[in-house]
Amino acid sequence: MSHPTPVALPLGESAVTLSWGTTVSADLNALVHHAARIIRAAALPSVEDIVPGYAVLTVFYDPLHTAFGVMADRLLELLQSSGGEQETGPAPAEHVIPVCYDGPDLDEVARQTGLPVAEVIARHTAREYRVYLLGFVPGFAYLGELDPALVVPRRGSPRKRIPAGSVAIAGQQTAIYPLDTPGGWHLIGRTSAVMFDPVREPASLLGPGDLVRFVSGPG
Amino acid sequence: MITISRAPAWLVVQDLGWQGHRAVGMPVGGAMDRHALAAANLLAGNRPEAAGLEWALGGGTIRFEEPTAFALGGASVEATLGGRPVAMYTAYRADARDELVVNRQQAGVFTYVAVQGGVHVEPVLGSRSTYVMGGFGGLHGRRMRAEDFLPLGTPQGAPPPEGFMAPPELVSSAEGRPIRTTPGPQAGRFPIAETDRFFSEEWLVAAASDRMGYRLKGPPIASEAGGTLASEPACPGAVQVPAEGGPIVLMADGPTVGGYPKLAIVCGADLGRLAQCQPGRSVQFCSVSIGEGQRLYRRRAVQLHTLASLISGAPGS
Repeated sequence: MSHPTPVALPLGESAVTLSWGTTVSADLNALVHHAARIIRAAALPSVEDIVPGYAVLTVFYDPLHTAFGVMADRLLELLQSSGGEQETGPAPAEHVIPVCYDGPDLDEVARQTGLPVAEVIARHTAREYRVYLLGFVPGFAYLGELDPALVVPRRGSPRKRIPAGSVAIAGQQTAIYPLDTPGGWHLIGRTSAVMFDPVREPASLLGPGDLVRFVSGPG
Repeated sequence: MITISRAPAWLVVQDLGWQGHRAVGMPVGGAMDRHALAAANLLAGNRPEAAGLEWALGGGTIRFEEPTAFALGGASVEATLGGRPVAMYTAYRADARDELVVNRQQAGVFTYVAVQGGVHVEPVLGSRSTYVMGGFGGLHGRRMRAEDFLPLGTPQGAPPPEGFMAPPELVSSAEGRPIRTTPGPQAGRFPIAETDRFFSEEWLVAAASDRMGYRLKGPPIASEAGGTLASEPACPGAVQVPAEGGPIVLMADGPTVGGYPKLAIVCGADLGRLAQCQPGRSVQFCSVSIGEGQRLYRRRAVQLHTLASLISGAPGS
């Protein structure tokens, strides 16, 4: 894997954002997770949180102990010095999520894509997805990349309440809603898998960089 | 133990929130005005990060079931203990069955009640804060209501003597001055004229503001490359500018990632002051360097440290 040098920008007085670009790309995102592993393994004392985006990695630190410039230089040095090395750390976790494909938008997705419902399901279950990042609400994983034949824009009007466990698609991504929240993605199914349980260890079923496969079943 | 006799519309347990779980989407959460809770905690004989009550949107009454030191911080309220007036940022001792009556906020939004020993609900993911959207933390993940009771922790240190008042310069919040910000990672995506306007405009805090974000009302700000970017980490204080509508400042319970360009980041030292702006209030922002933002952050920490030293040196504490 090549290691282009990221740009380091401040995100307020207590975080550095390392940026490799501005686009959604599996290759850039792989760099992000690789950098996260290197920085996590270095266990720098004032680092408080390491958070991936699509093409950026944000490192939160304690400004009582480290100035922005010092932290940014330290992170860039770390990444440079571990340049050409092989992937470090454990292999990403793999998850299989059972889905009952009976979502209220399944027919609409079939209509918009011109595919039969069975083909929508077949294509959604055919791939292994990467957790690009989590956010929006706890445990909400942005998974990609979706089969290009399934790409549809977000719904024109978002729903006020989407039940937890709803499996959804929008753009090049798919996700599972961990909590009852508003949302504008197309709901194609549901799962009984608990995506986020604050008293479970780990609380979030999915972590950054993990791999996910869906299987059609009773959900 | 304390009992809620009469609850305001917003009464929840908060400490300084979650750390280390942003990568799975868990917000920082915790007190909207962190300095206010921390200072009140010191006055109640606690460590700054102890859990207390976050109180907003109306009056109410709590009853102390045992002798308890306490202090109020944040938005100033008219309050009484057993009929006697209670001042802000001042150490008090309640007797068993004393009632603290809090009337409507006079200014600001969030008042903090720090109680000796701290509110001792079960920590979740390392914090006792309440995350209402997720339905966990605090007391059953919800607002408190009448007849709820809260266990208190074992007192860890001695509270200052009753009547000890924090020097105003250690707890004041530069009322009326512009809210200081540092440049956001996408500041360069805004035309200079738009950025200038953001800092010269008087913004109104919109009614649709909450613990997730404060919406600002005013003429829209345009970014150069349209209103979105690939989602990336955000933080409390991030000033996000969507293509339509006004800027949104992310607050304590705001999402950990966002897809809108961030023009500026409100300094941690001033975020509590923004949190205390009621809907309809006008606010102005100004820009400082990252170095200055870090200096302001450290100064806040020094203020708490100074207050803690004064308390430990106070006669009779």
